[in-house]
Amino acid sequence: MKIAAQDAVKARKARRPETVILFNVSNQLFAIAADSVQEIRSTDSLGAALEIEQQEILKVRHTIERGHRTYYVVNACAHFGLRVVRPTLVLMLRQIRVAVLVDKIERMAEISGLHALPRAFLGAERQWYRGLAYLEDQVIPVVSPLGFLTSQEFQRLDGATAEASRRDLERAAQI
Amino acid sequence: MSGADAENAQSYVLLQIGERRFALPASEVSELAPPVRLHQFPHNSPLVSGIIVRRGRLVPVYDVCPLLTGKNSPTHQFYLVARRHFGSASEPAAIPVNGDSELVTADTVQVTSPAYVSGRLMHGGESIEVLDLDRLVAFESREKNQVDYAELNS
Repeated sequence: MKIAAQDAVKARKARRPETVILFNVSNQLFAIAADSVQEIRSTDSLGAALEIEQQEILKVRHTIERGHRTYYVVNACAHFGLRVVRPTLVLMLRQIRVAVLVDKIERMAEISGLHALPRAFLGAERQWYRGLAYLEDQVIPVVSPLGFLTSQEFQRLDGATAEASRRDLERAAQI
Repeated sequence: MSGADAENAQSYVLLQIGERRFALPASEVSELAPPVRLHQFPHNSPLVSGIIVRRGRLVPVYDVCPLLTGKNSPTHQFYLVARRHFGSASEPAAIPVNGDSELVTADTVQVTSPAYVSGRLMHGGESIEVLDLDRLVAFESREKNQVDYAELNS
């Protein structure tokens, strides 16, 4: 039957082994699929990060230019509502213009599958997490790369960046 | 108890939450779990305090003690695992209790208030509220959301 076959496919997909990067934010452990991270850099190497002037999305304060693309730097502490600590690393994500400030990388690990987030969870965490991993007696939320910024937030940030560029051009023209 | 009463009687699990006793229909209860590790991570869901792992399954824990007793949950607690229903689907749900639980057979009388109580039963001269877990956690979520909304608009 079609429905049963679809369920079986979903079940197989959910139980597929996956390599993840375990990282820490404000003493909380998270995982992210390794293939969704393009690059991990020290925040010290981000001297070229530009401050962005906007007050709407407080978790984004800077942008980084990479390969003619503007990445928005999301502070993971602010994103997850955790106590803000000074981040030391930035995860540049693949296929999405987001860089995430984190405290430290714990290690890479292979998870045997992803547990669906129980329906009891009904807040923003449904966008934040793809599911939960159970690894070495620990339940670890596996973050969704698409959950860091919504399409509306991208639009607002793109608007603020374009406005800032326009003002810079006007200033340059006056000089 | 008369013969007719015995026929209508159902089984309930009596549980202790804080200093009060409540009941849940035994048909909804899976197990009484020992004080296992509570796994916590960031989220915005009211009432949910974390996850416990039972028989390879991840079970959300609903901290109902403040709602039912007005006090914070004691530490070193057991977990009563029952089922929460979402339309035609359901998933396990745990509530922290102390270790004193017992199975009784009793009749109940229906009550309409508060919304999360489906009835009352008499046991050992004590009137005990029978909880409706689905309504209880939905009630708390709704109350919390209303408070959040009020705070946003104040």
